[in-house]
Amino acid sequence: MTQPLLDLKNLTVAAGNGGTAKVILDNVSLSLAPREIVGVVGASGSGKTVLSKAVVNWLEPPLTKRSGQVLFEGRDIYAMRGAEMRLLRQRISYVGANPMGALDPTLPVGAQIVEKMRAVVPRTLRRDAERRVIELLDAVRIPSARNRFHDYPSQFSGGMMQRALIVDALVTNPALLVADNVTQPLDVTVAAQVIRLMKELTVTFNTAVLFVSSSLPVAREACSRILVMDEGRIVEEQSTEDLISRPVYPYTRELVRQTPKIWVEAAATPRLDDQREVVLSLRDASQTYKVRKKSGFGGFNLVRAVRNVTFDVRRGDSFAIVGESGCGKSTLMRLLSRLELPSSGQILCADKDIATLKGRALLELRSKLQMVLQDPFGSLPPRTSIGRMLEDPLRTHGWRDKGRIRERVLKVMGEVGVPAELYEELPLGLSAGQRQRVNVARALVLEPEILIMDETLSALDQTEQFKLLDLFQKLQKEYDLTYIFISHDLAMVRKACNRVAVMYLGEVFELADNERLFFDPGHPYTRALLSAMPTLERRRYQPDECLLEGEPPSPLDVPAGCSFRSRCPQAIDKCSRLHPSLTVRERQDFAACHLVMPSLGVCGAAEGMHASV
Amino acid sequence: MSIATATGAPMAHTPAQRSVIRRIFDKAASTPGFRVGLGLFVVLALATAFYPELSGIDPTKMDVKARLLPPLFLGGNWSWAHPLGTDQIGRDMLVRSLVGLRYSFLIGVASVIVMLAIGCALGTISGYFGGRTDAIVMRLTDAQLSIPMIILAISVLGVSRPTIPAIVLVLGVSNWPVYARIMRSIVMTERQREYVRAAKIGGSTDLRIILALLLPLLLPPVLFTSVLDVARMMIFESTLGFLGLGVQPPTPTFGNIIADGRKYLLNAWWIATMPGLFLGLTLTSVNLIGASLERARNAIHGGSEA
Repeated sequence: MTQPLLDLKNLTVAAGNGGTAKVILDNVSLSLAPREIVGVVGASGSGKTVLSKAVVNWLEPPLTKRSGQVLFEGRDIYAMRGAEMRLLRQRISYVGANPMGALDPTLPVGAQIVEKMRAVVPRTLRRDAERRVIELLDAVRIPSARNRFHDYPSQFSGGMMQRALIVDALVTNPALLVADNVTQPLDVTVAAQVIRLMKELTVTFNTAVLFVSSSLPVAREACSRILVMDEGRIVEEQSTEDLISRPVYPYTRELVRQTPKIWVEAAATPRLDDQREVVLSLRDASQTYKVRKKSGFGGFNLVRAVRNVTFDVRRGDSFAIVGESGCGKSTLMRLLSRLELPSSGQILCADKDIATLKGRALLELRSKLQMVLQDPFGSLPPRTSIGRMLEDPLRTHGWRDKGRIRERVLKVMGEVGVPAELYEELPLGLSAGQRQRVNVARALVLEPEILIMDETLSALDQTEQFKLLDLFQKLQKEYDLTYIFISHDLAMVRKACNRVAVMYLGEVFELADNERLFFDPGHPYTRALLSAMPTLERRRYQPDECLLEGEPPSPLDVPAGCSFRSRCPQAIDKCSRLHPSLTVRERQDFAACHLVMPSLGVCGAAEGMHASV
Repeated sequence: MSIATATGAPMAHTPAQRSVIRRIFDKAASTPGFRVGLGLFVVLALATAFYPELSGIDPTKMDVKARLLPPLFLGGNWSWAHPLGTDQIGRDMLVRSLVGLRYSFLIGVASVIVMLAIGCALGTISGYFGGRTDAIVMRLTDAQLSIPMIILAISVLGVSRPTIPAIVLVLGVSNWPVYARIMRSIVMTERQREYVRAAKIGGSTDLRIILALLLPLLLPPVLFTSVLDVARMMIFESTLGFLGLGVQPPTPTFGNIIADGRKYLLNAWWIATMPGLFLGLTLTSVNLIGASLERARNAIHGGSEA
């Protein structure tokens, strides 16, 4: 065997000096061969990020290396002097998890990459550097790279930015790329593209990748070998498939067991009767925002954030609205919760248009329809005690008796698992999970019928998510709740929801029951989402056939015809001319695609749907 | 995130269920600064409230025989009857200073309240509603800022009689724009936070959100800075008094006592010094109290509760 590219020998890193310092990396040894992708997986706080920084000699105080060596091509990088290390930066590069914060917002992206190249490779001509950067921007499939070279970071989307940073890392043709959680902030389809790109890079540029990730399924997509970290130590190392089929260490076993399965397990939610009472109904709801034009004088652009959304939610449903960022989920959430009024169309709750409600009737709607917000840190007022926070909605709704209010609040706190001692406490020391429970309690205190969950679980780790999902299911039985989950996490949807609407660019592309959506999706976009989703099982849908290129078009300028046409692998002529409407596939399932054949007996699909819903 | 990871039993060790405000007061009360400030304040308050009446000395009564007496133990002919000496026409300095303190403190506090009320109300409204409301209120603020206080005071107080309410109004009206701007900027950032949205979904009206959610959250830091403004207003009142636009003689205030004493600085320095001394003591006590309250508030709201 040849010499390994990277070799860590008993590396120990601690925070601070002295005997009491906390050891963050404990005797870590690993090696990486050229052109290999090795994954490092672990829970948050297990030392992954410190490891990835230690490898590139980027330990900042109070972190210090205690012992051990980091050998790069046989030379210890911690024994090097500054100038030597700078030259080595040509060969080692690093991509972090926060693409939007990584570049200076006041300089064009291309110029910054050129600057980096000329800094680590002295005596590079500016012209050569520019040519190379444009070449690479092309190679990572940034459309019209030559123009994009001069754009500012704010003009790049998250996915494009991450690719630009990969260019920044690759520009010197490094032998080692350290990728620290690169896919975390990205949407699944874009993340899948980035991972595919990394795999290609190992072949075309002879780069080895140390792929650090908090998600085992993502690492599985990318890596041939996976190391598992727990509390600063490497506890297991196996080839990817072996690790998943035969995990040895208890933490790994737990990790594999907890990772949700999509197709292997049966749906947890039973199929419910189709004739239940409709509690919330959207009729062609649309929302258009006016955005002042950036160039020229005056004038507005119209952003069509939500376009003609129609669906019904029935009592007892766990209804999911899924889609990638920018698809209009959040706007739809604001419409549903009546924070905004739709620019056209109606939203009916108990057969009343919620836009016309005022005063007392509106207050009544509020008590029936509540929402749990996304951000566990921003959604609780920082200087109000928890008890007071939960009392406020009751006071707003006309409760006056102090004793009864307190009793009700304590009851709800007990139900969601917030200890009663926290009544007079500020929310400062609470964990994200605890805060989210307080959030749920605040929504539940009014005994609503419908609860909207806006990405409620996305800020929590896996274990906490499971606990809260169980809680939701318990509460659903107790209060006869109807849930509307707004989410980008298909695995969570598969586990918790019985009906799913898939959104893209403000439109509902598919509306189906859980089983149908995951086993027989009607729309190519749904298939693409399913194929891009990282899992530990054998996929039902192969990324090679379904995965999308590029990114969604801007909602400022929605293309005519089918808005998915530009990314659809199955696009036909008709798609560019005719806008597909939701077509009935069976009693309950709809998809908006020309390739879907309406089931027999229902003609005039769209109208048929309105009538039948 | 270090806070977030410290889960488990976060605050289970504090069994006492005291409300947040109560805890802030208790914490502040345990600091020496607060006690010293409060002690000083109480002594001054009691003295101003009772000494002039109890001593039976009229602050405006002249006594030419006992004019320009020095304070106790200083100079030759001091007397126990006038512990802080007398002024050029034999009025007792201690009584005059204490009565002056009453008026000055009243004017200082009242004008700060006027200032806060106008500034915070307008600032909150313009920050919360934004858009056209914001534009109008902010232009109004700019207009107000462009008028120097002294010019406003001269024109208003010169035309009408300089009564105490008029002085309070002039001082308050000429200083609110600062507060309007501060409130506007913090309300603008806070109103976009998720918890405001949560309150809306809970059914709260805009008025309820402003009064019950935003003001309790944002006022404390503003109130603290405004304590310093009490001092500034008292000095402004002195300035007005010095110009002859303050409270009119014979009613003593710090301003007109100092203005009078200016002429005798060389042979009777105490006339101008004594009101200054009282001014300093009052402001020190108020600031000590304010500072320790603010520190306690920061500690408790910041989560570093000892």
